[in-house]
Amino acid sequence: MKNQTKATLSHTLLYCVFVMISIIALFPIFYIILASFRSDAEIFKYALPFSVKTIVPVDWTFDNYRIIFTEFKFGTPLLNTFIVVGILVPINILVASIAGYAFAFYQFKGKNALFSIFIVSFMVPTDSIALPLYSFVNQLGLVDSYWGLILPSVSSGLAMFLFTQFFRGIPKNFLEAARIDGANLRQTFTKIVIPLSTPVVITAALMIFVTEWNNYLWPLLVTRSPDVRTIQVALAYFKDENETFWSYIYAAASISAIVPVLLFLPLQKYFVQGVTSSGLKG
Amino acid sequence: MDSSDYKRKVEKAIPYLLLLPALLFILVFKIYPIVSVTVNSFIRNDQFTFRTYSILFRDKIFWNSLWTTLKMNLVMIPLQILISLILALLVSNPVKGVGVFRSIFYIPVTMAISVASVTWGLMMNVNNGVFNSILSVFGIGRQGFFTDPKQALWCIVIMASWKGCGYWMMYILAGLKGIDISLYESARLDGAGYFTILTKVTLPLIRHAMLFVVVANTSANMLLFAPTKLITEGGPQNSTNVLMYEVYKSAFRNGNMSRAGAITTILLVLIVAMVIIQFKMMNKDVEE
Repeated sequence: MKNQTKATLSHTLLYCVFVMISIIALFPIFYIILASFRSDAEIFKYALPFSVKTIVPVDWTFDNYRIIFTEFKFGTPLLNTFIVVGILVPINILVASIAGYAFAFYQFKGKNALFSIFIVSFMVPTDSIALPLYSFVNQLGLVDSYWGLILPSVSSGLAMFLFTQFFRGIPKNFLEAARIDGANLRQTFTKIVIPLSTPVVITAALMIFVTEWNNYLWPLLVTRSPDVRTIQVALAYFKDENETFWSYIYAAASISAIVPVLLFLPLQKYFVQGVTSSGLKG
Repeated sequence: MDSSDYKRKVEKAIPYLLLLPALLFILVFKIYPIVSVTVNSFIRNDQFTFRTYSILFRDKIFWNSLWTTLKMNLVMIPLQILISLILALLVSNPVKGVGVFRSIFYIPVTMAISVASVTWGLMMNVNNGVFNSILSVFGIGRQGFFTDPKQALWCIVIMASWKGCGYWMMYILAGLKGIDISLYESARLDGAGYFTILTKVTLPLIRHAMLFVVVANTSANMLLFAPTKLITEGGPQNSTNVLMYEVYKSAFRNGNMSRAGAITTILLVLIVAMVIIQFKMMNKDVEE
């Protein structure tokens, strides 16, 4: 009986801590979303003293959203980002998954050395080599183009690592059985291995999506004209050009923040599975 | 050459063919740039020279920037890892609805660093920011935040930790989930308390996950650059002028590519050195 009370008490305490951390985690997001529905004048007017009105709009307005899409053509960077991600995610998944397949199911000379190269390459983030990469992409004539944005991001070592670890968990005799049934490599891959790997495909796709959606430094360097600018770069320009129009920034930031959340929430079950199977246990 | 011989050769080539696309991308877009930046930082007018470095090492701004980067990371990396570990331990409790909280803790990760920077910059604004409004409730006067040379760097640390910890939490959680529960039970039967179990059982068992988190966190944070670029532009009084921002300024504002290349090389060497130290330290833990 005493133990039970103790357990209930510690559970209550745990939930209290959960709620407190949740408030810290969510406050900035709720704040910008709410602020995006009010005018600049209103935000400033109720800043002090602190009350509910400091956070919750008094006069709800959609003007900020209307204006960023009409006057500031925010639709263009939004579309650009979707195009870039739409091309990048499938290519990256394909490249990473077949590499993972080779590492998981084959024995070959230089395997360990190659695997180390892959791992090291993903430890070196693109940002650290942004400068020489820029000179190189410039030489290729890809500055200010979709391919300039896409190609340097294809080598996601993290996705390849996730695939390798996940594939290692697939029993080899599944593949043997398929081979005996006369399936060729492509059939084994697309009909057996990939269908078994839904969590890791979703995890890798989500990670690549979020990384690219949020990518800032590289698109900042490699895009020159508004025609190919991605969402994060466009957002940064907002601030430079419109120091005073906070509410527009809030509206654009809300769009940027909400898209990954909407994608992530329904898929979070797979995401946890995908990361957990990455072999980082014990 | 008979057909079975040919077939065997094809079989042998298959893994290499499968790796070829990934390897090409890595060679062209990762390894080549690293090599080229390092080599180029030693070349001026087609000659091998240390001149770029000797100029750099006499540059006060560089040393100040190096110190800022190190100071920020010596606080931020341990802080983030500690918070992430606590978060992971919290959400590894198998209580009802824990999945919902796990997702909530992860949500800041999905926010772009640029958006987080701009948002926190506005929230921590001296005049109209909501943080000053909230502080006024507790009778705390107006804070300078990003405009105060004493506070700006630490505001960046707070913001980056808010955004980053959920990500590392996931990897530590993955490690925790792999631990056999019976190990906890037997330790508890032996009379071990919570902290003894944590330090003697849990932490040694998740060392792979921790090593990954420590290493990846280090390289990510050493390159943190967006808050400086978007909120403070290196100021006030150069207090947030991290090395990565110096690279950006040298290359794209002042057109000084050799200086930018040399700083990039130094950053890479620093990251590799820190990673090696971390590997050594954490592997030693394992032996003991």
